[in-house]
Amino acid sequence: MKPTNKAKPERAGAPPDTGDMVTSTADGAEDAISLEALMAGDEKAFEQLVVQESPRLFRVIVRIVGDDDEAESILQETFLQAYQRMNTFRRESKLTTWLYAIGINLARASLRKSRRLSSLEDQEVERMQPQFNRGMFVETPAVWDPARVTEYSDRQQLVRRGIEELPEDYRTVVTLRDIEEYSTDEVAKMLDISSGAVRVRLHRARGALRKLLDPHMRRLPRQ
Amino acid sequence: MIPQGGIRYLNPKITPTVQTMKFLTALKTALGLAPGCEKVNEFLADYVEGTLDEKTMAQFEEHMDMCKCCSHYMDQYRQTIDMTKQLDDIVVPAELAEHTMFFLRNSEAFSKDEG
Ligand SMILES: [Zn+2]
Repeated sequence: MKPTNKAKPERAGAPPDTGDMVTSTADGAEDAISLEALMAGDEKAFEQLVVQESPRLFRVIVRIVGDDDEAESILQETFLQAYQRMNTFRRESKLTTWLYAIGINLARASLRKSRRLSSLEDQEVERMQPQFNRGMFVETPAVWDPARVTEYSDRQQLVRRGIEELPEDYRTVVTLRDIEEYSTDEVAKMLDISSGAVRVRLHRARGALRKLLDPHMRRLPRQ
Repeated sequence: MIPQGGIRYLNPKITPTVQTMKFLTALKTALGLAPGCEKVNEFLADYVEGTLDEKTMAQFEEHMDMCKCCSHYMDQYRQTIDMTKQLDDIVVPAELAEHTMFFLRNSEAFSKDEG
């Protein structure tokens, strides 16, 4: 029995730790790939990994770089590097976590090169957090009315644009935690930061996103 | 119907109950007996995730019950997360994995055993 970290319970429905098998964590994919076969350079096993992880990893990379074609080529490079560096995988994390770390690093490098900037700066994210005076709210947050944005496509666009505006570190944490639903510990390993840092960044990212959604979601005064 | 109540509800400055609650919360906070809005806000992510310890959870919920600001904020925070979770705007190319395998087979990384 492995010791469990009580500060970080697995989300309901998450598959159990399968030891030497590689499963897609958030989905609980049925087909487990043998880690031994992967480590031995087995092509078939690797192809299974590519099929299993491509869609989600692609989505994560698209959120970082903001371009589908670029994301596809980064995805390919990620799997190539993973295949070539399989012998450096130390089993301190899940193989998928290690794979995502490679993909995220490549995506970040590409983003830096492209100089595509998000519209918000880190300091702006700070300013978008709720304001307190002597520990209490300065102003009462508005009541949100979900009925204001009922069209599915409008909602999608509103949230997508909000996420695109966030600085990359914040965008990536929201993508991994809230959209792809990886655990805090997994995200920490993927990004090589502490779990505490993931929590703080996620909380600020949600706070900033909330601020961006606020004008569209406030309940309108009755006529 | 109750237009006055509606107006008062929208403007906390002239709602005595909210002010009283705020005063009580502030008093308890000042005495170190309960966390204030700012502290409660820091617990929000863990509360949503269900990882708060029992004692903090009780303090958190007590504050939420009497603080309109925090309960409104939590509602916004939750809706933000829900809307984010529902996002599925990215279309994954149908032949993504095939393209990757094609790329790998052409890169000489694969098939080293066959040669
Ligand atoms: Zn409060």
